[in-house]
Amino acid sequence: MKNQANPWLTGNLFVLALGMLPAAILIGALLYFTAWAFAFSFTDLALVGKKSVEWSWVGLENFERLFTRRGFLESLWTTVIFVFFSAIVGQSVLGFLLAATLRGTQSTIRSVVEVCIMLGWLLPDIVAAFLWSATTSQTGLINQLIVVPLGFPPINFINSYALLVVTIANIWKGTAWSYLLFSAALDSVSREVVEAAKVDGATPFQRIWLVQLPIIRPHIATNMLFITIWTFTYFPLIFAMTGGGPGRQTETLAVFLYNQSFSRGNLGFGSAISVAMLLIVGVLSLFYLRLLREPK
Amino acid sequence: MLKRGFLTTVAAVSLMAAAALPAKAEISIMYMESFGSLIESGIAKFEAETGEKVNAIKLPGQGYDQRIALDLSAGTAADVNLIDSFMVSELASAGYLLPLDEQLAGWDQYQYYLPGLLEVASYQDQVYALPTDTDVRMLWYDLSNFEKAGIPTPWEPKNWADILDAAQKLKDAGVQYPFQLPAGTKQAEAATMQGVYMALLGADVPEGDRNRLLKRDTNQWIGDSPALRRTFELYHQVYSEKELNPADLNYATDIGAAVRAALANDQLGILASGSWEDACLWDCNNPPSREERDAQVGWTPWPGSGEPGTKATTNISGGWTIGVNTNASDKDLAFKLVTTIFDEANFKAWTLANHRMAVRTDISESPEYTADPFLAKATALAADTTGRDTIPGYQTVSALIQQATSDLVDGVSVDEVVQTYHDALVDEFGEEKVITYE
Amino acid sequence: MDNQPSRLTAIALAFMAVIWVSPFSWLILNAFNPLSTGQLEIPKAFGFDNFGLAVSGNAGRQFFNSIIIAAGTATLSVVVGISAAYPLSRLRIPGRNAFLWTLVLLRMLPSAGVLVPLYFAAQRSGLLNQLGVIVALTILNLPFTLLLLKNFFDTVPIELEEAAYVEGASLLQIVTKIVLPMSRAGIAVVWFFSFTGAWNEFLLPLIFARVQDAFPMSVGLYAAFGQQGAINYGFLTAFSILYAAPAIGVYFLLRRNMNTGFAGVGVKG
Repeated sequence: MKNQANPWLTGNLFVLALGMLPAAILIGALLYFTAWAFAFSFTDLALVGKKSVEWSWVGLENFERLFTRRGFLESLWTTVIFVFFSAIVGQSVLGFLLAATLRGTQSTIRSVVEVCIMLGWLLPDIVAAFLWSATTSQTGLINQLIVVPLGFPPINFINSYALLVVTIANIWKGTAWSYLLFSAALDSVSREVVEAAKVDGATPFQRIWLVQLPIIRPHIATNMLFITIWTFTYFPLIFAMTGGGPGRQTETLAVFLYNQSFSRGNLGFGSAISVAMLLIVGVLSLFYLRLLREPK
Repeated sequence: MLKRGFLTTVAAVSLMAAAALPAKAEISIMYMESFGSLIESGIAKFEAETGEKVNAIKLPGQGYDQRIALDLSAGTAADVNLIDSFMVSELASAGYLLPLDEQLAGWDQYQYYLPGLLEVASYQDQVYALPTDTDVRMLWYDLSNFEKAGIPTPWEPKNWADILDAAQKLKDAGVQYPFQLPAGTKQAEAATMQGVYMALLGADVPEGDRNRLLKRDTNQWIGDSPALRRTFELYHQVYSEKELNPADLNYATDIGAAVRAALANDQLGILASGSWEDACLWDCNNPPSREERDAQVGWTPWPGSGEPGTKATTNISGGWTIGVNTNASDKDLAFKLVTTIFDEANFKAWTLANHRMAVRTDISESPEYTADPFLAKATALAADTTGRDTIPGYQTVSALIQQATSDLVDGVSVDEVVQTYHDALVDEFGEEKVITYE
Repeated sequence: MDNQPSRLTAIALAFMAVIWVSPFSWLILNAFNPLSTGQLEIPKAFGFDNFGLAVSGNAGRQFFNSIIIAAGTATLSVVVGISAAYPLSRLRIPGRNAFLWTLVLLRMLPSAGVLVPLYFAAQRSGLLNQLGVIVALTILNLPFTLLLLKNFFDTVPIELEEAAYVEGASLLQIVTKIVLPMSRAGIAVVWFFSFTGAWNEFLLPLIFARVQDAFPMSVGLYAAFGQQGAINYGFLTAFSILYAAPAIGVYFLLRRNMNTGFAGVGVKG
């Protein structure tokens, strides 16, 4: 099963290498840029002023401050909750359920549902933020249609349940991606396999759980990795909706990072925060990588 | 299928990108959309007078500060730039801005600028930019809610106790936002300027800059002081201990609109803000008549804390400026563009039309300007104003102050907040640059 | 699975669609309300004034720029991605999975840190223009593009390629006639993902553009925030409807093409 078995590949190694060249160059550029970001985490580089030009090395100081100063650990916890509920539970599970259900439904229902979830995905973040804060405000849709008719006083959702509101908004905004990926992945599952399972008497649930899921396993792992990374670093929606507040209630690591890098102007400390984020997600992704392995 | 047509796409894209390259202009200017009416009429006049073509880059407010810093450090900035006054010293200290003193000396209108307002655009005793306008800060209050709470108007608080007392009465009368004191990181400078600094200036005696963030003669930041603790205690009282205000207005998606809505719905008691609210409490561009406004809200200067020796009222001012890039290809031409924009006729018309507070005596003493009762009264406050601590690092300190107010909103104790603030200052500037007042 | 969905499923889906779409009432009500205030309310008047305002000014030019940036980025990403992902999928290069995953992880580093060197590199190579934005976004996309495309290529059975080779097909024919058609859905997803990412990109075009006329719609949207603090909600909502619409159109154009899936392509090669 070595390359010898695939003569159209072994005979064209030069062509294949040539094909990889542009990507290799661009990846080289990316590595060069990220090497800078890494290096900055050991400096006191500032956004503006003297230290933006004449920065100096400070060793591990920035990393020590992650643990000795208020902010990082609190934000980490907020981020974990936000990522788990909005990305993994919300977007991923919901996206898969929708993809599995809509596969094979008649095209009108499918189109309507697709337009709905796609609208959220395509709406600019800043507008989505306005839309959700209007929806959850005291004069907003939820209060006007549900809370007040039921006889309760209007609820100031963002003041009282800020993290819940941004979590729901992010599910609304981001499910389209998981849906798209899972739809495309399910498309690549041969119909013959599914039909065969059906003939063998598998229930719809079994067909999904025992036949389709194992085949698209790599896609599930990839999707988990992607949405974890995106949600970990996702910034504009939360920042526009609450700016991390009230107080620090919705200050995820991405917001914390922005505040330290841009408001405070400490790019060195900001880089250290993101290196730490990278390590955390790196550990998580080892777990996802196990999903990739073929079942025994 | 997707691959076909790729070459044509790339070719087309490159061509179009090339077509979008700028025609090389002799002089360029970058500014924020909201200053369009001042700058564009200046450009038109400049082009007519000199025959030069100006490459104007108008940007949205979002991302503007980032782009200015990046452009100037990469050497790709426009020749003339609109800059927030608090960034001037940072940019000047990095050598990005051209000192203007020499050229200003030869400009006949320079004499009218108020020296106190030039200070915010200066670094190490040299002027690096000219201010477009200024502002003052005060406490606004809703007249109908004051009546409901039984507080006589015009309201003239003498100290912080009077403010807290009024806020308590408003709260008891069922007003939802009794004392909107800007806090948190979301509104950035507003929390520092309209909130913390206004209180801080009246929290201790002015001697030795005990009522500031910076000891100005030695350029040392004050990491802990009675003034700082009293100011944080005020926040603690308002947001935590006495719960005199829900925090959410500080974090609304559109803070301005949220405040306007609160006023319109009679939910607002006292609002710590500035002179622009004379229009912006309603619609900045199209406010109701003077009578309608005066019937709805009143304002009073911020009183000092009432501690012995403190100021009776406080004030601090900010604003935007226009400066010249050190690397401008033709520095004289760039300066000419600046003076054309600030030429009396153009500048005065804009100041009056936009109800801005004038930075020059030839405008502020003109009959058209003094005819506006609000501007006249507010300008009196400007007589005893001060500016931010415009040395490099201010932006960082301001961000740390905002984070401190965030923690106070969350109910963290004053001791812990001061400790965090002090540590962060030491992290940023080193032990020798941070002092403590007992 | 090709039969009609059960009634229960249909109801559940309809219910979900209603919940999903209901927040848009705010967007629509404000967009068609000439006196919009940003509150949720039934407009007293109804009109297209906001849309008129949204298309006036630079919107046409900005729309054009957005298309160039988004389509250019998506196409470049997919082409560069395909030509690298196919070898990565077929050749047993040791550690390729770990390498791709590491690249994706590295993309977590803050755009703040990357932005500064990226900007200086673009300036030095004369790419402070739309081509530069396209190249920069392609670079930032590439880790995701590579990993996704490789995954999709992995699902194409190698037996099909063997059969084609036996019948005398060249490498180019094998790739264009078998691998690409069978990964069509995946390629479309990757293209669309890059397209929407670039369509919504704000900071890079803002910072790279040297002239007013080079801004895309994502920057134009911020004209709604022009006047000190007072947001023009009518403009904002109308503009964002116009802004999102083309991308949704692109989705449906693509979906028609990608819906055939596995069975349609067949095993004949």
